[in-house]
Amino acid sequence: MSLSKRIIKETQRLAEDAVPGISAVPHDDNLRYFDVTIDGPSQSPYEGGVFKAELFLPDDYPMTPPKIRFLTRIYHPNIDRLGRICLDVLKSNWSPALQIRTILLSIQALLGAPNPDDPLANDVAQAWKQDEQAAIQTAREWTEKHAKP
Amino acid sequence: MESAHLEERPHKKRRFFAENPTPVVATSVRHPSLPPEASSSGPAPPGITPTAAPVQTNVDDVHNGEVADGFDTGLLQAIVGELSPSILTKLRAISGNDVQRAINLYLDGTWSSATMPSTSTVLPSRQSTIANGFIRRDSEMSITSTPSSGTSTLSNSILRAMPDKRYLGSFGAIGWATKSGIGLLRHDEKIGIERSKIPPRLGKGGRVRIVTKKNQDIIVRFTNARGEEVGRLENDSATWISSLLDSKLCSFEASCVYAPERIRTGDNIYLQLRCYFLRTAFVARKFQPSDKMEEKELFESMESQEETDLHKRQVALVKLFEAINLHPTRLNEANEKAKREGLLQAAEMAEEKEQKPKMKSGELADPSSSPPSDEAEEGRELEQDQLDTLYKKAQSFDFNTPELNPAGTFVMDLRKYQKQALYWMVGKEKHETLEHKEVMMHPLWEEYEWPTQDADNAPVPTVDGQAMFYINPYSGDMSLEFPKQEQNCLGGVLADEMGLGKTIEMLSLIHTHRNEVPQDESSATLRSLPRLPKISTAVEPAPYTTLVVAPMSLLGQWQSEAEKASKEGTLKVIVYYGADKAVNLQKLCSVSNGANAPNVIITSYGTILSEFNQVAALEGNRGSHGGLFSVEYFRIILDEAHYIKNRKSKTAKACYELSAKHRWVLTGTPIVNRLEDLFSLVRFLKVEPWSNFSFWKTFITVPFESKDWIRALDVVQTVLEPLVLRRTKDMKTPDGTALVPLPLRTIEIEKIVLSQDEQDVYDHIYLRARKVFNANAEAGTLLKSYTTIFTQILRLRQSCCHPVLTRNARIVAEEEDANLASDLVNGIADDMDLSSLIERFTSEADRDANKFGAHVLKQIQDEANAECPICSEEPMIDQAVTGCWHSACKECLLGYIAHQRDKEMLPKCFSCREPINARDVFEVVRHDDEPEFVEDIRSDFLEPAPPSASQRARVSLRRIGITGSAKTQALLTHLKANRKADRTIKSVVFSQFTSFIDMIEPALTRDNIPFLRLDGTMPQKQRAAVLTEFTNSDKPYVFLLSLRAGGVGLNLVAAQKVFMMDPWWSFAVEAQAIDRVHRMGQGHEVKVIRFIVEGSIEEKMLRIQDRKKFIASSLGMMSDEEKRLQKIEDIKELLS
Repeated sequence: MSLSKRIIKETQRLAEDAVPGISAVPHDDNLRYFDVTIDGPSQSPYEGGVFKAELFLPDDYPMTPPKIRFLTRIYHPNIDRLGRICLDVLKSNWSPALQIRTILLSIQALLGAPNPDDPLANDVAQAWKQDEQAAIQTAREWTEKHAKP
Repeated sequence: MESAHLEERPHKKRRFFAENPTPVVATSVRHPSLPPEASSSGPAPPGITPTAAPVQTNVDDVHNGEVADGFDTGLLQAIVGELSPSILTKLRAISGNDVQRAINLYLDGTWSSATMPSTSTVLPSRQSTIANGFIRRDSEMSITSTPSSGTSTLSNSILRAMPDKRYLGSFGAIGWATKSGIGLLRHDEKIGIERSKIPPRLGKGGRVRIVTKKNQDIIVRFTNARGEEVGRLENDSATWISSLLDSKLCSFEASCVYAPERIRTGDNIYLQLRCYFLRTAFVARKFQPSDKMEEKELFESMESQEETDLHKRQVALVKLFEAINLHPTRLNEANEKAKREGLLQAAEMAEEKEQKPKMKSGELADPSSSPPSDEAEEGRELEQDQLDTLYKKAQSFDFNTPELNPAGTFVMDLRKYQKQALYWMVGKEKHETLEHKEVMMHPLWEEYEWPTQDADNAPVPTVDGQAMFYINPYSGDMSLEFPKQEQNCLGGVLADEMGLGKTIEMLSLIHTHRNEVPQDESSATLRSLPRLPKISTAVEPAPYTTLVVAPMSLLGQWQSEAEKASKEGTLKVIVYYGADKAVNLQKLCSVSNGANAPNVIITSYGTILSEFNQVAALEGNRGSHGGLFSVEYFRIILDEAHYIKNRKSKTAKACYELSAKHRWVLTGTPIVNRLEDLFSLVRFLKVEPWSNFSFWKTFITVPFESKDWIRALDVVQTVLEPLVLRRTKDMKTPDGTALVPLPLRTIEIEKIVLSQDEQDVYDHIYLRARKVFNANAEAGTLLKSYTTIFTQILRLRQSCCHPVLTRNARIVAEEEDANLASDLVNGIADDMDLSSLIERFTSEADRDANKFGAHVLKQIQDEANAECPICSEEPMIDQAVTGCWHSACKECLLGYIAHQRDKEMLPKCFSCREPINARDVFEVVRHDDEPEFVEDIRSDFLEPAPPSASQRARVSLRRIGITGSAKTQALLTHLKANRKADRTIKSVVFSQFTSFIDMIEPALTRDNIPFLRLDGTMPQKQRAAVLTEFTNSDKPYVFLLSLRAGGVGLNLVAAQKVFMMDPWWSFAVEAQAIDRVHRMGQGHEVKVIRFIVEGSIEEKMLRIQDRKKFIASSLGMMSDEEKRLQKIEDIKELLS
């Protein structure tokens, strides 16, 4: 499958016009497969952490959303142990007008605003609801433990 | 008079040259066309006419005082005085060598006006002593030189000589008894042979035999000497004997060879039959003036019955000659056996065909898929490779043919090969002079010798001067006269491939070989004296006029080309068509009107046909009609001559009837798909012997149909070779350069993906067609429902173009009404002009939503160059907006909507996630691409007017989908892209469905693409106007043409792009259309795009095109079982 003009353009822009705190670099052997890093947002338990993720553009992108998964372990009610993310724009609210850049920004925003009411990792969500401070603390520890270079 | 003369000459020769006949023969051979008057009447100066030499000798004899042969010249001259030798000769001739009579004749003065039949009564006895061969030779020569006007007198005299019947030969036959008895027949008893017309009398069995006149009635009875019926002839021989009897060619006498003493019903009886040719066999046809009869036959177009009779007659004659073992003493074809077999085979085939139920009435009536011919055709189609071989053979063009420069009045420059064509054509036309010298037997005829002895070696009466008779086995005609080979065709087939300039070549011929009108005043007046222009009932010569017959759409082109090619005032051209026909051609073109006669008359096939019908209504009285059929042209040219490829069509028959000295046909495709196509051309050209269909059938159709097509094609080649000049565009001269360098041509197939709605329609029709097909296949009624299935296939093809084509008009109208209603409810019309929308929104400024809408709508113009949010194209390709006014490429937007629908999701806007409807997607039409607005843009720069005003005028919205189908969309995309690239480019669009053209038109109008249209319904004048406009205008026209009306002849080199909207069954037809643009005169590369819907029947059609098997032009013809089966195979493939 050849690369669409859109993917080429997106890739170029990600490189030339990088968003602070976010990077996405395609693999040389598969230009649809990106290595992603997202900096934890400030004033969040993830601050200071650099979270790695992988991103894959399916064949019918942008009709269907990219597939994205955290590789770095993260304690977050909307992200499960396998790194899968629960985010509406990656599912039903996807629109071809969205891009890799906007999706990554959305994920970054999700880190800053966990939503335990729409959980993916039930245990984490439970903890978050019962004792938010403790949960945040755990998240900090995980960040320290897994997301520091 | 002539006849007497004929009889006279051998008489003289016998007297003076009996010992040494050769020089005499030589003399007469050299002057076969010598008018008889020159030697027989009037005091011709001695030593000038060939007969003068013998006369001279005669006179010398006379002056020597000798009495030759009882004619005492001395006595004669003593009484009447000195006489010139010629008068002497004549006197002697008319008096029958009787001196006394000669004296009387001379004195009462009747001798000079006397006719000479009296001599013929005297002469035979003398003639009979002359060597047979000599006489035959001589009479042949004399007869050949006899103009046709003498025919009736001639046959009269022969009549007197020919007995009622003349013995031909005898043969054995077997009969079987129909009654029993003892001693009914004795050996050698004379037996009567009769046809079934016996009165219903009581036989011994007491039964009455009722014989009804059926087709198959072949019963031949024989009776004994007492006239009682004894039996019948065996069927084998009865078949042909009955038709010989019925057609009154022969009578038979028979004798019994062996019959059992006691005869029982069914016993074999052996007979010896003696066959006599009846005098009527030779006479009957002759007495009808040949011209009239032919006309009658042709004008009434009642051929089939006649043809059947003819076949029977032919077969009967051949069988008879076989039976009596009579062989021609002279015939033109070497391979007699093959010929006879072929003849029989042909007749049998025809019979078989006859017996099959005719299904012609059940023909497919769909005009868009049936071939462009009015009547059913026959003959097997040629496979493409066969056609290729044939053409290759016919194309052996000699590049060293000399060139001929055209006359000075022709002002165009000819290319080398065109000058070679001119040389060839002039040669063909002038060949006449050479041909005239040889007198040959007509190639269709065979010569037979009358037997002098019967089977028992007893002499039979012979007739003097009639040692021979002649039979034309192909027409069934019989003659006692020597059949002369008629003048050969003085024209031919110019079959250069399209674009090589056939018209120009022909015009150069018109200029170069023409009869000059005598300039001399006095001779002109003299000429006009005896023949003042008056309307004659006969066909009058028009020696200065060439008639050009062309399809209606080409009349204008011929006229303008003719004018362009001629020096001012050297060629008078008139178009004879429609209202311009109010002239009497006979008067206009007559010899006396030479100075004013038109040199070229251009008319259409339709005109020919309608005048043909008028003449037919006048019972073939051509002259008084005063139209096209009333004159004999110097030359006729049929352009696009495949119009007459069907010999049975009325148009073809009408064209055969035009009279001319020189006949030419122009066609790029002398054979469209069957060998019979060629026959019609040959028939028009009157090329003997091939213009005889029976002959043609025998040597070409029959071998071809019996798969012996190498032989058939060889024969065709021998027909074609001297007749056809064909060069192709890709021909290379020996040094490797192309004959005509033409710019490159590329053909691309563009796959079209149907929209979901279209696909639904297609699938629906497809399933229905499958269902009908399967049901019929199971029931075994495929052949019966062929038409239905074929109609379904047509619908499928139409739905690939535009779904609306398949529906009936009423439903479509209803649907459109419904749409309109819902649009009114939504406050959105199909075509919204952006300016008016903005106006509406600003006028309701108090409402927020509308304000937002207005804002976005204004932005649309600015966004035009923005990036597509979906595919990132920049600028967007065909910007489109949603109902919530978000822009993307049209394709991306539609693709996304389709994607969501496929996933059974409610389509939502890609941007605001508002639910959207596919119907509420609008295309942004930017008028600034259009040349009309070029000036507006410039004026923007010149004066600082408020930019919004002009900008608003340049954009409008249009609902997607209403412009029509995927194909129209694709076409528009191409046209717009072309327009962007080059504002002067002209395009041609072909479709076979005029209704589809109807749908394309509004789409072009909406996009302000200027277009022209040409289809079969347009009158000639309008066509010409449209063609001129397309060629001469600077506008970047798109020319919409129906494949049928525009596929032939036209010159569209002004265009560079060709779009084929739908495939035809054979690519040749499409290629021909493409060649309208890619032909001589084209200075640019030509790009052709063929739109094919992916995964549809159209793709399958392409496969069939590749196989070249399925030729749609035969779909209307369902007579041949095998062919039908083949077609069902094809349909299976189409519906698989």
